[in-house]
Amino acid sequence: MTTVTEAVTPPARPSKGRGRRASSSRTSLRTAVGRHWYAWAMVTPVVVVLAILVLYPMVQAIWLSLTNTTEANQAEQICQLSLGGGQVCTPNPNHAHFVGLDNYVKLLTGQIGRFWSQFGITLIWTFACVIFHYTIGLGLAMLLNRPLRGRSVYRIVLILPWAVPAFVSAFAWKFIFDRDAGLINKLLGSTNDWFDSTPKALTAVIIVNVWLGVPFMMVAILGGLQSIPAELYEAASIDGATAWQRFTNVTLPGLRSVSATIILLGTIWTFNMFPIIYIVSRGGPAGGTEILVTGAFKEAFEGIRNYSIAATYGVLILSVLIAYSVGYRYFLRKQGEVW
Amino acid sequence: MRRALGSVAAASALALALAACGGSDTPTAQSTPTTQAVDPATVKADLTWWDTSDATNEAPEFKKLIAQFNKTYPNVHVNYQSVPFGEAQNKFKNAAKAKSGAPDILRADVGWVSEFASLGYLYNLDDTELVKDQQDFLPVPLASTKFNGKTYGVPQVTDSLALMYNKKLLQQAGVQPPKTWDEMVTASATIKQKTGKDGTFLNPAGYYLLPFIYGEGGDLVDAQQKKIVVNAPEAVAGSKKAAELVKKPGFTKPPATDAYNAMMTAFKSGKVAMIVNGPWELNNIKSADGFGGLDNLGLTTVPAGTKKSGSPVGGHDYVVWSGMPREKAAAAIAFIKFMTSADTEAQVANDIGLLPPRASAYAKVTNPVIAEFKPMMDSGVGRAWIPEAGQLFAPMDEAATKIMVQGVDAQTALDGVAKTYKSEVVPDYAGG
Amino acid sequence: MSQAVRGQKVHKRPIGKSLALHAALIVASFIAVFPILWILLSSFKPKQWIQSDEITLVKEPTLANYSNLLGNTDFLRWFWNSTIIAAFTMIIGIAMAASAGYAISRFNFPGKRPLMWTFLVTQMFPVAILIVPIYSIMASLELINTPTSLVIAYCTVAVPFCTWMLKGYFDTIPAEIDEAGRVDGLGPFGTFWRLILPLARPGLAVTAFYTFLTAWGEVAYASAFLNTNDQFTLAYGLQTFVPRPPALPLWDLLTPAAVLITIPAGIVFFFAQKHLVAGLTAGGTKS
Repeated sequence: MTTVTEAVTPPARPSKGRGRRASSSRTSLRTAVGRHWYAWAMVTPVVVVLAILVLYPMVQAIWLSLTNTTEANQAEQICQLSLGGGQVCTPNPNHAHFVGLDNYVKLLTGQIGRFWSQFGITLIWTFACVIFHYTIGLGLAMLLNRPLRGRSVYRIVLILPWAVPAFVSAFAWKFIFDRDAGLINKLLGSTNDWFDSTPKALTAVIIVNVWLGVPFMMVAILGGLQSIPAELYEAASIDGATAWQRFTNVTLPGLRSVSATIILLGTIWTFNMFPIIYIVSRGGPAGGTEILVTGAFKEAFEGIRNYSIAATYGVLILSVLIAYSVGYRYFLRKQGEVW
Repeated sequence: MRRALGSVAAASALALALAACGGSDTPTAQSTPTTQAVDPATVKADLTWWDTSDATNEAPEFKKLIAQFNKTYPNVHVNYQSVPFGEAQNKFKNAAKAKSGAPDILRADVGWVSEFASLGYLYNLDDTELVKDQQDFLPVPLASTKFNGKTYGVPQVTDSLALMYNKKLLQQAGVQPPKTWDEMVTASATIKQKTGKDGTFLNPAGYYLLPFIYGEGGDLVDAQQKKIVVNAPEAVAGSKKAAELVKKPGFTKPPATDAYNAMMTAFKSGKVAMIVNGPWELNNIKSADGFGGLDNLGLTTVPAGTKKSGSPVGGHDYVVWSGMPREKAAAAIAFIKFMTSADTEAQVANDIGLLPPRASAYAKVTNPVIAEFKPMMDSGVGRAWIPEAGQLFAPMDEAATKIMVQGVDAQTALDGVAKTYKSEVVPDYAGG
Repeated sequence: MSQAVRGQKVHKRPIGKSLALHAALIVASFIAVFPILWILLSSFKPKQWIQSDEITLVKEPTLANYSNLLGNTDFLRWFWNSTIIAAFTMIIGIAMAASAGYAISRFNFPGKRPLMWTFLVTQMFPVAILIVPIYSIMASLELINTPTSLVIAYCTVAVPFCTWMLKGYFDTIPAEIDEAGRVDGLGPFGTFWRLILPLARPGLAVTAFYTFLTAWGEVAYASAFLNTNDQFTLAYGLQTFVPRPPALPLWDLLTPAAVLITIPAGIVFFFAQKHLVAGLTAGGTKS
């Protein structure tokens, strides 16, 4: 066993010879630029695009969450233009102003919205989806990684759920779950209403999202399996490892880097996954399957848009996910993975 | 199609008469409307129009109307864009706020007008030709174009909920269309007994709860008195009635989501005899296989509660984006004037069955279904046309599911709605 | 147990095991396709039979829906727009992600750790909430209603993930290869382009497919930035077939459109998946 584990470690370790030297000494800015310009040049395009389109609006949103800005009180003055000519501008009497942490207090104490119950639903939704995505995706990727007759046909068929635009399949699933005309009830011969209680509705939307998300995990893991050198498996076999031992000692460690990425990002994406719940259950019954992001949308984006409350939801979601990521990283570090 | 030709002639005559409206087409169109006639051919502009109507059923009709308009105004190019109804509101607000990408003219839901106007996104139309014959519009659709006493839109189409029934099924059961909710209970039970089909399918949604609430003289908010009345005794009594009805024999138990589609599917396939819905479904009912066409469709006012029969009024208005350059004003006015003329509205009513908001249009309508809808428009109840109107329905939809599907007590559910209204929608209103 | 050694060399598998393998895959495939199968079958049915409460496999099959879709809507125009946008997103996104991923994998430059975190954080704030400020930014760049706006936006969605993924793949490529490149007189860019990229093919295939699909099926940004029918992407154009959300979608247009939109995605995957096996042998020979 020990031989196997040791054999695994080297390829998963990137060499950082060049980099280590660079960081070991404190250098002036000029030498830093001289030494790192190519690395910086390689990341600059991404950084610029992300900074303009995501980071800047995000910082704006963090500021908005400390004010009482809505669509109605945002402008300093409201101008009423007349098509026949003429224009009347009046100062906005309740122009938005700084309110400190009021929005956070309102949301967290339940004066506005239902933060905590939506948070609970979000957790169930996220973890259920990610666990099924990953385990099913891993299983299928392992099956498809073997030499096998018709492998590329299976592969293409299995990625189809990813290839259909999500909102179309969401409508199709909604129809499948329909009480009166749905396929599931027809097959079961029942008149069960899938959406009249929260547990059932939540199960239904999770099934839809698992169906949608497995192909992505499967493809990513398939790519990861390819980077595990075959020699490791051979060495393991020679050592007399069982299939299960090979899986836990060669496959899983070899997939660690890919798995860490897709689980982390999968969690983040699922946490904020909007369209499925919005289309399939519409958050029903009576708000029972509302997750934070759909709740925020309903709360703040219907009618006069409440930018500050929306931003507050956003910042709270961001904080939860940062906390999760920090914990996740800590966990990975304990396992020996560094990033 | 025969009618269409007639309308063109009428429209041209009208257009000539109204060409006076736009003042001049020079860039400095600051003048108030003059009475001096302007040659329509001198009105030149590119107008973008976002239409939110159904892209397959209704859009061809509006494209046809643009072509008719261009016979009089050959130099006004109308750039027709079909925008999904569900997205138009947010799209328009994003674009208007960024002052980029918004259309010159928008077909806005009646519930959006006051909201857009309050945000300064719309031109006020009070100084234009467009407000001249306002008294011809039905009062409720007209009210939807007003905000703070000023006019921001011109009604395009109106609608209201009605009781729709399957004539054959009612005949088989030997019952008359019910006039009150209580009659609906007995009628539905009889239909179930005699035909085996369900009597009524009620949609558990906020908007569809309104006829029950109006029937008892209630409402969601009282905009005049600035009061939240959604949990007042009238509204509660109405909602209790709805909850009571869905449990009676002969009423379909509504599903928790997508009840609307379930209702329409059941009605169109003849599995349920009565529903409450609006004229926008007429085309679908007409083409449904196995329903029997419009000949089998009965229409009457929604059943009354203890006070009256009342149903909410919907529809769409034309509005003009305040970011549109003023030099396009003449063209925009001419276009809206044409699109909302009695002849155009009558033509639309005949061709695709939309209800005209103009009283005088009804005299020109030959489509019999439209004539049947007219009395229902007269019993239509105006909603509170306040900027916050768009936020009133999300909490009501949840309450409707609770009351009509989950069996939660109406008072409890509506108290929750009132609390949301008070904390998030209309904080300066009393009650809640 | 030891006879079924994993890897690309074909080993004999007992028949029972083979059957079980195929059975598992067939069940999975069935679950994967059956909603799509419903869409496919429905696309051949006349309008009134698509959503009726009577369930039929085939009923009066017809191609009318397809001819209606292709003849009476802007479908082909949308198809072209989507193809352009997806192709550019794929090329630009992969270029950005691969270079950034390589830099992060190989060089220990100042700002590396914060950069990795930035990528993560950009994925955390719900886009639904940010759409208004993003619209304003696009408007001030005068990009509203252009394909460029979408290519840029999709890159912000796809690149962080792809960078993370590719960094992982690059990590598995032995550093000796870089050293060898340096000895041969290649600069950092040369090493990256000539030696590393070819070895990272499975990773590139996965991320390329991912960026393609991100652009191909996305709706939220498209619905925010596009205003005129001639600029619509496929996925957003399909939304016009769901005119009023409480009411039914126009299944007679939506189903054939969904079928046609799936085909290119399948083709792209078909080519991508060929590379899913190729990378290892190259990497294997070097180590």
